[in-house]
Amino acid sequence: MSGSTINAKIRTSGRRPWMREHAISLAFLVPAAIWLLFIVIWPTINTVRLSLFNESATKFLGLTNYKTVFSTDTILTAFRNNVIWVLIFPFFVTFLGLIFAVLTERIRWATAFKALIVMPIVFSTTASALVWATIFDNSPQIGAVNAAVLTVSDWFNPPGAYPVSAAAGQTVADLVGSNAHAKKSSNSIVSISSARAGGTINIGLEDVSPTTLALLKAQDAVTPQPMSGAITGVVWRAFSPSDPTNKSDVLPGELGLPILHLSLVNSQGVSVATTTTTTSGQYKFSNVGTGSYFVEIVSSNFSSGFTGISWLGGGSITPVSGLGQTAQALLSVPLADMAMIITYLWIWAGFAMVLIGAGLASLNREVLEAARIDGAKEWQVFRRVTVPMLAPVLAVVLVTMIINVLKVFDIVLNMASGASVNATPTLAVEIYNDGFTGGIHSGVSSAIAVILFLLVLPAMIMNLKRIKGV
Amino acid sequence: MASVVLRNLTKQYSGNNAPSLEMLNLEVDDGEFVCLVGPSGCGKTTALRMIAGLEDVTSGEIEIGGHVVNDLPSRDRDIALVFQSYALYPHLTVADNMSFGLKLRKVPKAEIEEAVQRAAKILDLMDLLKRKPAQLSGGQRQRVALGRALVRDPAVFLMDEPLSNLDAKLRVQTRAEIAQLHHRLQATMLYVTHDQVEAMTMADRIAVMNLGVLEQYGTPRELYNFPNNQFVAGFIGSPSMNFVSMRINRDAERVYLTGMSADSNIKVTLNDEQSDILRKSDGSEVVVGVRPEHLIEGTIDDTGFSAVAKVEVIEFLGNDEHIHATSADTDLVAILNAHSSVRREDSITLSAPHDTVHFFDPASGLRLN
Amino acid sequence: MTTTAQTSDPTKRRHILRRMLPARGPSNIVLGIIAIVWLVPTVSLLVISLRPEAAFGVSGWWKALLDPSSLTFSNYRTLFGQGFVAGGLLDSLMTSIEITVPATLGVVLFSCFAGHSLVFGRWRGRDVVFLTVVALMVVPLQVALIPVVQLYRELGTLFGLNPFGTIPGVIIFHIAFGLPFGIFLMRNFMSGIPKDLLEAARMEGAGEWKVFYRIVLPLALPALASLAIFQFIWVWNDLLVALVFLGGNVHTPLTVFLYDQNHELQANYWIISTGAIVSVVVPLIVFFSFQRYFVRGVLAGAVK
Repeated sequence: MSGSTINAKIRTSGRRPWMREHAISLAFLVPAAIWLLFIVIWPTINTVRLSLFNESATKFLGLTNYKTVFSTDTILTAFRNNVIWVLIFPFFVTFLGLIFAVLTERIRWATAFKALIVMPIVFSTTASALVWATIFDNSPQIGAVNAAVLTVSDWFNPPGAYPVSAAAGQTVADLVGSNAHAKKSSNSIVSISSARAGGTINIGLEDVSPTTLALLKAQDAVTPQPMSGAITGVVWRAFSPSDPTNKSDVLPGELGLPILHLSLVNSQGVSVATTTTTTSGQYKFSNVGTGSYFVEIVSSNFSSGFTGISWLGGGSITPVSGLGQTAQALLSVPLADMAMIITYLWIWAGFAMVLIGAGLASLNREVLEAARIDGAKEWQVFRRVTVPMLAPVLAVVLVTMIINVLKVFDIVLNMASGASVNATPTLAVEIYNDGFTGGIHSGVSSAIAVILFLLVLPAMIMNLKRIKGV
Repeated sequence: MASVVLRNLTKQYSGNNAPSLEMLNLEVDDGEFVCLVGPSGCGKTTALRMIAGLEDVTSGEIEIGGHVVNDLPSRDRDIALVFQSYALYPHLTVADNMSFGLKLRKVPKAEIEEAVQRAAKILDLMDLLKRKPAQLSGGQRQRVALGRALVRDPAVFLMDEPLSNLDAKLRVQTRAEIAQLHHRLQATMLYVTHDQVEAMTMADRIAVMNLGVLEQYGTPRELYNFPNNQFVAGFIGSPSMNFVSMRINRDAERVYLTGMSADSNIKVTLNDEQSDILRKSDGSEVVVGVRPEHLIEGTIDDTGFSAVAKVEVIEFLGNDEHIHATSADTDLVAILNAHSSVRREDSITLSAPHDTVHFFDPASGLRLN
Repeated sequence: MTTTAQTSDPTKRRHILRRMLPARGPSNIVLGIIAIVWLVPTVSLLVISLRPEAAFGVSGWWKALLDPSSLTFSNYRTLFGQGFVAGGLLDSLMTSIEITVPATLGVVLFSCFAGHSLVFGRWRGRDVVFLTVVALMVVPLQVALIPVVQLYRELGTLFGLNPFGTIPGVIIFHIAFGLPFGIFLMRNFMSGIPKDLLEAARMEGAGEWKVFYRIVLPLALPALASLAIFQFIWVWNDLLVALVFLGGNVHTPLTVFLYDQNHELQANYWIISTGAIVSVVVPLIVFFSFQRYFVRGVLAGAVK
C-alpha cells in the first residue's frame, strides 16, 4: 500500500471497520442462538432436573422416578414396543428402499413412480394413520385387507350354511338342545337312533337362526314317506310357538333345514354315503345295504370359515409359552404393532428409496463393469460389489430411521383403539400420557424423556463423528 | 493366448445420426501388441468395449481365439480389461481386488494365493497387498488394476488408456513397464490410447482410427514412412507433418508445382518418379507434406522442398529447437539442432530432400504414390 | 481430465447401466403392482370422503369405484358449509395456516442468517457452534416440552403474556426445533459459495449486511426453497406440539381436528376422511410444485 491517497480512502469508513463487520456477522447468529438456547438447550437440561423431582416439581426424589419407570407395566410395555419397532422397521424400510431404488433404474417412468412412493411423507402421519386404520378394520365391509383375506379364505375354506360363531358364544351343542333324536359328536350331530333300509330318521334342531333360514329359502318341513331300500327323513327346526315343548314331532309351521350336508354312517362309524337336504328339509339315501345306519349332520355345516384377522385388536403373536405373565407379555408382538409398522413402511419407504437411489446413481459404473469382466453374474455383482459400495448410504438411512422410530407417536395415537391401546404404546406416547393428560405432571414423564434422549445419544455421536471427520 | 479378429464391426447408438464405429476389420495375431489410436470420438474405446462385451454389437463379428463371441457375456470371453479410471473395488484390499475374479470361479485358495503373490512380485505390489484403494497413489492403483488383469491370465488383455491419469514422468516409466510385461508374457494385448507416442513406442502394429473408421493398420515404421492418407500422416509424429497446398502445372514436357499465392517462397522440385505420379493424378491441386524433423536449415543438393520463411517462435528443448516460421501465408515447423544460430525475425531457408516429401490428393486425402 | 468421450455420453451411460439390472419387463410389472398398492390408501380415503355417510360400514369403498355415479361432494359441502365455526374444518384449516406460515418464515429467516454467520463470519469458535447444531438436530422434542410450558408460565407471571394455549406459543416452539436442521442445510449449501465472491465485494467496500443481502441470499435461494418446503410440510403435519400447547383450545390445527374426530365416541368417518383429504391437499400442492426442492431437502438432511 503506497501513496497517501489510497490510505486516505481506507480511513474514511470509520474507526475500526473490520471489527464492526466481525461483530455484525456474529450478530447474525444471535436470533437463532437465543431461540435455541431458550427453547431447546436450557429446557433439555431442565428436563433432566425435573426428572429428579416429583410430579409437581416440589420435592426432590433422586432416582425414584426412574425406578417407577422400570416398574410400571405400561411403561415397560412401551419399552417393548419401541424395541419391536427398532428391530423391525429400520431394516425393512431400508430393504424396501434398496429394492425400489434398484428396480426404478430399469424403467422409463422412474420419476413418476418415485413421486408416487414419496408422496405419503407429505401426508401427516395422523392422516395416514386414519387411512390405514380403515384399511385394517375388522369388518370386511370397511377394511380392504380383511375383505381380500376373506375372499381368498372363503374360496379355500367356505363357511357352512349354518355357521356357528364361537365369537358370539354359540356352540354346536346349542343346536342339539334337549333333543331326543340326536346328540353332539365332536363338532357334528349324530342321530341317536339308527335305521335299516326302508326306515326313517327325523332330526329336529333348535336354536337355528330365522335369518339363516330366510336366506336359504327354507320351506315348511314335510315328513317323507318311507321307501324300500332307502333311508329317508327330515331335518327341521323344532320350534313352534304354538307348542314350544314338543321337540319330537314335526308340527305344522315348522321349517325344514335346507342345504344340510348329511352323511350315512354304518355301525362301524364309517361314512358310506352323503346327501343334502332339500328346501323342506327332506333327504334320501338310496340303495342302502344291510345293517343299521346312523345319520350324521357333518361338522362342515357349522364352520364359520375364517372371520378375518383382528389387526388392530389386542391380539398378539406370542413366540414362547409357559413363562411368567410379565415375561410373556414382554415377549409377545402385538398384531397392532405389525399393522402400524406396515403403515409406517408405506409412509417412509419413499425416503429410503430416494436416498439409496441417489447413492446408486453416484456409483462408479466402471467398477461394476470390472466385476462383470472378472466373471461375476448379475446377482453376484449386486451382492458383492453394489451393496458393499452402497454401505455408507444404507447406514445413513438405517440410523435416520432408527432415530425416527424411537420417537414414533402420531401413528400409535391414531391407530390404536380399544384393546390395542394397552398393547401398543410407545415411549413417546407414554411421555404424553403421563405428562400431559389431566394437567401437567413432570416427574415420570421427564424421566422417560431423559431415557429417550439417552437412547438417541449414540446416533448423535455417530453423526458428529461423521461430520467432524469430513 | 489368442488371436482377435474383428469383421465388419459396426456400432450405431440409437440416439445418434452417424455410427460410432463403421465396418471395422482388424486382425490381431496371437501374442501381438496392437494399439488402437485416434482422436476423441474416433471409436477406439467403443471397439474395445465391444470386444470386452460391455457394449452390444450392432452388426459384424468379434472372434477371440477362433470363437465368435458376440453372444457371450463378458465373463465367458476369457478377457481382462484395465480401465482408464482403474475401477478398483473400493471396499476390498489390494489382494482381494486381485483375487476377486478367481474367487468367483471357485479356484482353490492355495492357487489364488500363489497367483496373487506372483503378480504382486512382478508389479512391485508386495507391500501394498493389505491396503485399500483409497490409501494408494494413482500409480499404485494403476498397478493394482494391471495386477487384477494379470492374475486372471486371460487370453487377451484389453487396456483402455491406462496411462492417461498419470503424471508425465510416471507415464514414461509405466510405458516401459507395460512393454516389458508384454515381452515377458508374450500375451495378446489390445491397447487404446489417444497418445501417438505411446502407440509408436509400445505397439507391434498400430490401428489409426478417425470418426469410426479405420484409417490405416500397420507397423509403426509403415505408418511413419508410408502413411495412407493425410490424416495418418498428420496424426503420427510430433510435431505434426507440415502441409502445404500447391498448384499442379502439367506441360507437355514437364510437371511442376507452383505456390497458391503469387508471393509464395516455397519451391518444390520433382524428381522423375514424383513427376510421373503427379502427371497421372487428377485435379489441379496437391498437398505437399514434409515432416519437421526432415527440414534442415540452408540449402542441400537433393532439394525436393525448399522454403524461405521468417522465424516467429523458437522453442528451446535442450538438444533441439522447434522453429515456427511463416512463409508467405503458410506456417511451417522445423526441428533444428539447438546449436544453430537462428534468431527470431530471421529469414531462413528450410530444405528437405526428395525422399522425405509426400504428396496428398486434396479431395480424398490419400497419399499419391 | 480426459474422460473417454464414449462413456461420458448420457445415452451410453444408461446403456451400461441397463445391462446390469433385472430385465425390464418384470421390473415394469413388479413396480406397476407396487405403484397400485401404494395408491390404494390414498384413493380409498378420497373415495370414502366422496361417499354419503350412510354408505360407510355397509359396503366396501371399492364398490363405489364400480358405480362412480354414487360419488358425491356432499360431505365437503356440509363441512365447508359450516363456515368458520369454531372447531370446524375451515377453522382448523385457518389455524394450520396461521401456525405453519410464520413458523416456516421464522425458520428460514433465522437459518439463513445463522448459516451465513457460520460460513462467512470471521469469528472464532464457528466449528464448535456448528457441531452443537449438528448435535441438536437429533434431540427429540419431547425432551423440551414440559420445561417450555413452564417457561411460558413464567413469562405469563413476569410479563402478563402466557404463550401457553396460544398460537404464537406453538410457533415459537416450532421455530426452535426447526432451526438445527435449517442451519445445517443453509450452512452446508452456503459453504459451496466461492469465498472469492464475497472478498471481491468486501474489497469494493460492501459491509457485512450488504454482502449478505446482495450476494449470499440470492445465491442461496434454492436451498431456502428446499428448507421452506420441508419445514412447511413438517409443521403442517405436526400433532404432538399442537396437542400439548393447544390441546383443549377452541381453535386447533387440522391434525388435532382429525385426532379429536377419531377419538369421539362415534368416530365419524365421513368427517375424518373429508378432513384428512383437506389436510393433505395443501402439502400435496406444495410438494408437486416444488418436487425438485423437496427431494433435495430430503437428501441434504441425511447425506452431507
